[in-house]
Amino acid sequence: MIDCAEYRRTVLADPHAASPELAEHLAHCPDCPAYSERLLRFEGRLAQALRIDAQVPRVRAFRSGWLAMAASVLVALGVGTLWLGAPHASLAADVVAHMAGEPDAWARTDVPVPSADLNPVLADAHMRLDSDAGMVSYAQSCLFRGHHVPHLVVQTARGPITVMVLVHDSVAKAQPFDEGGYRGVIVPVPGHGSLAVLAQGEGESLADIESLAARVKDAIVWTG
Amino acid sequence: MKDDVGGNAGRARFQALCQALRPDLLRFAFWLSRDRALAEDVVQETMLRAWKARDSLKSESAAKPWFLTIIRREYARSFERKRLATVDVDELIAREEPMLAAAHDQDLAELRAALFKLPEEYREPLVLQALMGYSTAEIAAELGLSTGAVLTRLFRARNQLRALCGEDTSMDPAP
Repeated sequence: MIDCAEYRRTVLADPHAASPELAEHLAHCPDCPAYSERLLRFEGRLAQALRIDAQVPRVRAFRSGWLAMAASVLVALGVGTLWLGAPHASLAADVVAHMAGEPDAWARTDVPVPSADLNPVLADAHMRLDSDAGMVSYAQSCLFRGHHVPHLVVQTARGPITVMVLVHDSVAKAQPFDEGGYRGVIVPVPGHGSLAVLAQGEGESLADIESLAARVKDAIVWTG
Repeated sequence: MKDDVGGNAGRARFQALCQALRPDLLRFAFWLSRDRALAEDVVQETMLRAWKARDSLKSESAAKPWFLTIIRREYARSFERKRLATVDVDELIAREEPMLAAAHDQDLAELRAALFKLPEEYREPLVLQALMGYSTAEIAAELGLSTGAVLTRLFRARNQLRALCGEDTSMDPAP
């Protein structure tokens, strides 16, 4: 017959475990029935705790009404499934939506991201940056429209700007945008998709952002 | 899903399957990553990869473990690509507070916060068992572990979780 330690070890690993040995121990032990009962109560709470509300939309800092509405409708319908068949939101809207997921990237800093972190992100997109691009303070390879793309933050004299290298999304001509609290431009990069460059708030003029976009675009060296 | 997968009927069936499974897949990805935004991205990417690989799904009854395997792979890929830094758990809890909150049930919110504090090696098998209904053998197969190792992790997971929640663990056997 198993002892209390073995019984408890077994039911802690699987509170619903059942075997003749467990049943026999339970029938004769003065302490383990109460132990089991407490454990099963806890297990019920655990199952309840794990079932978080899968419909709660993640909070996004949309300021424009139509974008907030579009996002909530997508969430309500189940983004993951309908994304397969639904027409895509505009590229600019997707870029803006992506920003909400990484708010810390916008920190103003004079600390560059280590080369060991930056280079693999750029290499994933078959590119490198020459120093004319400015100081890169943040670099991640982010999931965007089903692809991993470089998400960079470049520090400028007027503050941080975000650059997304959208090698899988082409645009025919420059697309300026001003929505959701971000102002930016998506410029074509012939043969390599497009480049989204954007700033937070309204401090940066569109002309300045377009100029920054041109500078970053010129600083990219394609390696593949 | 080998029949008519490319046609409208096959597409509709696949979408219905995704819609039915999505809540649990999102929950699993959330408890794995402890990051709602990342979980949504991982599930979305998983759906896309699943659609592309739909021919390899032998039957709809095998869909759940099939999707779970893709999610785990996709999460690992995100983890590797993003080189997620070691993060402060209290910060994570504060950031995901809307997900962890339970109206009128502070104990439940605390239990969710305690789950965030479990090491991933304990949290993942526990979620597979208590949320996804996996057996010990299925967890072992999914995680590439022996059943003995899975049982040890599950035992330690509950032991630590109960301690974190202030439960009386004085009668628990030594880990």
